[in-house]
Amino acid sequence: MRDLAVRRWWCRYGAGAPNLRESGESARAQRLERARGRLLTTGVVFLLFFGALVVRTLDVAVIGVPAGAVGAGAGGAPQPVARADIVDRNGVLLASNLPTHALYVEPGKIFDREAAIAAIGGVLPDLNLDRTAALLDSGRTTALLRHDLTPEQAHAINRLGIPGLWLERQDQRFYPQGRLFAHAVGFTDVDNRGLAGIEQAAGDELRRRAEERDGPLALSLDIRIQHALAEALDDAMTTHRAVGAAGLVMDVTSGELLALVSLPSFDPKAPDRSATNARFNRATLGTYELGSTFKPFTIAMALDLGVAALEDSYDATEPIRVSRHLIRDHHPENRWLTVPEILIHSSNIGAARMAVHVGGERQRSFLEALGMLARMPLESSERGRPIAPRRWSTHSTMTIGFGHGIAVTPLHLIAGYAALVNGGIAVTPTLLRRETGMHIERRRVIGAETSAVMRMLLYAVVAEGTGRKAAVPGYLVGGKTGTAEKAIGGRYKRDSMITSFVGVFPIDEPRYAVLTLLDEPKGTKETFGFATAGWTAAPVAGAVIERIAPFLGVPAAVDTGESEEEPPFAERRKGDDGEQHVAL
Amino acid sequence: MMRPLVVISIAAFVLAMLALFLVKHEVRGLERELALLELDRQRHVEAIRVLRSEWSYLTRPSRLATLAARHLPLEPVQAAQIRWLPQRPAGLPALMTPIGGEGGS
Repeated sequence: MRDLAVRRWWCRYGAGAPNLRESGESARAQRLERARGRLLTTGVVFLLFFGALVVRTLDVAVIGVPAGAVGAGAGGAPQPVARADIVDRNGVLLASNLPTHALYVEPGKIFDREAAIAAIGGVLPDLNLDRTAALLDSGRTTALLRHDLTPEQAHAINRLGIPGLWLERQDQRFYPQGRLFAHAVGFTDVDNRGLAGIEQAAGDELRRRAEERDGPLALSLDIRIQHALAEALDDAMTTHRAVGAAGLVMDVTSGELLALVSLPSFDPKAPDRSATNARFNRATLGTYELGSTFKPFTIAMALDLGVAALEDSYDATEPIRVSRHLIRDHHPENRWLTVPEILIHSSNIGAARMAVHVGGERQRSFLEALGMLARMPLESSERGRPIAPRRWSTHSTMTIGFGHGIAVTPLHLIAGYAALVNGGIAVTPTLLRRETGMHIERRRVIGAETSAVMRMLLYAVVAEGTGRKAAVPGYLVGGKTGTAEKAIGGRYKRDSMITSFVGVFPIDEPRYAVLTLLDEPKGTKETFGFATAGWTAAPVAGAVIERIAPFLGVPAAVDTGESEEEPPFAERRKGDDGEQHVAL
Repeated sequence: MMRPLVVISIAAFVLAMLALFLVKHEVRGLERELALLELDRQRHVEAIRVLRSEWSYLTRPSRLATLAARHLPLEPVQAAQIRWLPQRPAGLPALMTPIGGEGGS
């Protein structure tokens, strides 16, 4: 048709229209003229039309559609995840985003309710059928039936072919390790926003890694140690009917936390279904007056400032009366005690006198240097602020000397111990894995010699003092117990206590510190009714060290089978094999 | 004189169009294949994510402890079971004599 029209047009105008003979019949010429005009118009219209067709054909066939559009209609294309995975220091998965489906129902579109409910129940066995029936009869236009369907379940629901059911893809956070890392890792809400722990503190980093496909975020925690600590604390909590427990394991040279446990724990997938008490992080947020576990700080301070020497003695013959308060010992020796004896017998009087000897101002700046008076840095939003007296009176100096009148978090305590034993360098606690060669800020708080003396003293506490239950055959453990009465409503309660223990191993060349804390433990028949730290917190630390030392590659100290009576430390100090590492 | 040139041009044009069309057609086929492969890859990546979670869930320490207690006669390692080379058991010869030492202790 086009050819025809064009040819006509061509014939008439392009190739030169035949000259019409001038006839007398002008009417005929006029008609011809009109016909020509019409033809011309039609031709042009057709030409434009076909031209457009040609252009469009070329557009579709040659220029084509954008490549991305192909396959988009296939449905269910996986979306990129919103948050990167979190793994422990060995790469074990702790948190991951998984594709799930949410099942919605439009009750109005369902024909046979009974059959539909039965069919859905067949796919989701744990679905509450009565509740579902009530939901279908509620008269709502749409209702959410279930979150977190696995891909298989979603597929099965689809195959049921029930109209009125529809699935929506969701990208949901999962915690394969369940409660084990609840406090350290934290949790997110349904919109993948971090609400606690690392999830909150490192939220931006996790999103950045997901966006740039930068791999998972590696924590400093070790799942084996975390499990050993959690299990030991859980056992102790049950045995001693404690209301709570906390535990930390720290690498004393790098400040990396290898385990962080706070009990009772909760399910990070359903944090709102647990008690607020369970969500509370006792290890890094809870502040406690920790009692005698503070005494090593007083002693280290006195020794390091040269105020006291190891052989010096302090008068612990009778309780000290300061204004209305009486400071006394739990196991009174009623004599002058040397510095090591003050620690071994855990003398409050001795520690108080030593603190006063050093002086309040210096005590305050020493604790400040250790980081005991401010929030500890950590990749977590749950960091407790220590409670210290605003006015540092003589009375405060005395009580803080033996760990009362100042409340710190367990994290503060273990970081302080790390500095005491690692040669005197303050460490910054971290939950993220430190790569080898990473720059670590080193700040000296006590001298290396003082640190060596502290190691010896802490060893003595475990070898012959209150920490005996933390001794582990074959390993050199040092540490200190602390039993403090809880202050409730401004008064100390005799029968509710916080017991804590910090153990360090191997004490001759410290690598790891273990902190255990029990909240309101009760005595049992096995502990002869005692609920003090030596009977409750110390054995837990011992059990943990016994379990984790072998796979941490800590060398056993001596042949344990043969020479158990002889203190292994003395054996080592002789250095008779020529292979001993550190002289103390 | 213009005729052959016009005919050749038109023929060349038609041929070029045809070739372009065929190439384009092939490219679209390949693109579709690529998109399907990419979709497949993403599904596999997703499946791997799910399986990794599953694996982590199945190898959680508490479950392994239960299973080990039920099926294995093993117990936790004691310090006494581990020997470090310098602390050789009495029955073994010394690997080297300590410098300046007089042999065994």
